[in-house]
Amino acid sequence: MTELLEVSGLSVSFATPRGSVPVLDDVSLSVREGEVVGLVGESGSGKSVTALSILGLLGEQGRVDAGRIRLDGRDLLPLPEREWLRVRGRQIAMIFQEPMTSLNPLLPVGFQVAEVLEEHLGLARRAALARAVELFRDVGIPDPERRVRDFPHQLSGGMRQRVMIAMAMACRPRLLVGDEPTTALDVTIQAQILALLRDLGRAAGTAVLLISHDLGVVATMASRVVVMYAGQVVEEAPAGALFRAPLHPYTRLLLAVVPGVREKRARLSAIPGSIPGPSALPVGCRFHPRCPDAIPLCREAAPTLDAHGPDRRVRCWRAADTARA
Amino acid sequence: MSAPASAIGTAEALDPRAGSDFWRRFRRSRNACLGGVLVALVLLAAAGGPWLAPYRFDDTDLLAVWAEPSRAHLLGGDALGRDVLSRLVVGARISLLVAVSVLALTLTVGTAAGMAAGYFGGWVDTLLMRGADIVFAFPELILAIVVAAMLGPGTRTVIVALAIVWWPGIARLTRSLTLGLRTELFVDAAVVSGTRPLTILLRHILPNVVPPLIVRASIGVGFIVMAEATLSFLGIGVQEPLPTWGGMIRDGLVSLRTEPYLALSASAALGVTIVGFNLLGDGLRDILDPRVRDR
Repeated sequence: MTELLEVSGLSVSFATPRGSVPVLDDVSLSVREGEVVGLVGESGSGKSVTALSILGLLGEQGRVDAGRIRLDGRDLLPLPEREWLRVRGRQIAMIFQEPMTSLNPLLPVGFQVAEVLEEHLGLARRAALARAVELFRDVGIPDPERRVRDFPHQLSGGMRQRVMIAMAMACRPRLLVGDEPTTALDVTIQAQILALLRDLGRAAGTAVLLISHDLGVVATMASRVVVMYAGQVVEEAPAGALFRAPLHPYTRLLLAVVPGVREKRARLSAIPGSIPGPSALPVGCRFHPRCPDAIPLCREAAPTLDAHGPDRRVRCWRAADTARA
Repeated sequence: MSAPASAIGTAEALDPRAGSDFWRRFRRSRNACLGGVLVALVLLAAAGGPWLAPYRFDDTDLLAVWAEPSRAHLLGGDALGRDVLSRLVVGARISLLVAVSVLALTLTVGTAAGMAAGYFGGWVDTLLMRGADIVFAFPELILAIVVAAMLGPGTRTVIVALAIVWWPGIARLTRSLTLGLRTELFVDAAVVSGTRPLTILLRHILPNVVPPLIVRASIGVGFIVMAEATLSFLGIGVQEPLPTWGGMIRDGLVSLRTEPYLALSASAALGVTIVGFNLLGDGLRDILDPRVRDR
């Protein structure tokens, strides 16, 4: 497998009235062809900003200070907006958390899928609509000939998310970015949607970057997982190894707070403290104020993201100790 | 949603505007029907004015000066003894011409400017909205007089002058609606699928700003008819002896207490028109909104 998406050393800051605030610091991650990579972290860890950067949608306030984003070896960041229009939807597609509001309420859903086909593949209206019907069938929407004419409010949340997936997969993109694609759905539908994403990805050879704070979702889908905290990558590992033996204390705590079905705990556990804001980052390791294993060094110097074995990277002074223990 | 099996999956069956049940829904909506009938009546009067009128609009009859309604003059006569009904019917054409032209111009320019300003923001927004502010800053009469000085008095002047005065209001409204829509997830979804900005504006923003604009426009009819009367009173607009509703109301107000027929009948005509457009606009908004359709 070759590298499809390569984000290297990406630093992004946002302009605010009180000056520029760094939100991503030296983020590197890669997605190979056809691979599913999980990107996890709390709210505010920089997951979504990473996704927006990959799509070139940082907006006027966002600025890339350093780093590179390559898709198939092509550097995306210097592309003019006109070129970006051909990347978005065609090569990189995205689905959102909220299927209820991701569709235009005034247009039939089939139209909205057809629009993408017209835009990117130059299909005529009639051909695009016929293709939309096929896509609806592919994503498991029953009675697709009739559903394409429905308006969004006539579909359930799960069906709408299927429409969004049909829209995203319309041009068989190389990479699909899913920003919490199942968070707003109930659990049985979640499982269906995840299975659908995996199957479609496999069939079309589309790689998936799955952004989620739900480790269960990531565990069932991803072959590799990247953990982010306060705008940095803190751990990257194959999914199995990460869940078996997390090396970063943050990853360990994240796994520990997932409630199990059989446990009869009176209260849900939580990681004490909250993620620091980008303008008030602690000196040293960004996680040390919440870290149970912090040593004096953590308060003084920021750890670097170091390799531990062939395909693991960890940003922790004590990773070697943890690995040995 | 019942369609013949052959139509399923074809472009015709999918086009939201081709809706074969448009007329069925139209007939079921009481507002749309009533409004439609009223507007149709007014349009009929405007179209057939000179033929429908019992007298010529500028025929004077000394015996009919401030006449009360009678069989000869159904709505009485004005200060010069001209038949009020005839002037009302002929006036419909001019008043509606002005109102519809001004609305067409302001809606086109105002909506385009408002959507561009709201969607693109930045210098586009600054340029357009400061331009609108400049227009807002002048009293409308002053602007209209400036336009008249350039174009000379006449119906065209009234239309141009009112259009210049009115577009900023439409632009402001559209801009604020667009600002709200721009952050909607379905617009983001269109952006991440690589849809061009122009397509996003036309397909996703425009259909969503139209319903509030319909309401705004139908209310605008009344204001425009009265504004035209003001301009014509100052000699900038439509010139005597051509009748306009606004002008008739103005002429009749002077003697409202003693001879109310002139002002009242013109006001009633205007009122019926406004109510008609309002009901029709309201009904159309409901009919065209897919979310209300199924109820």
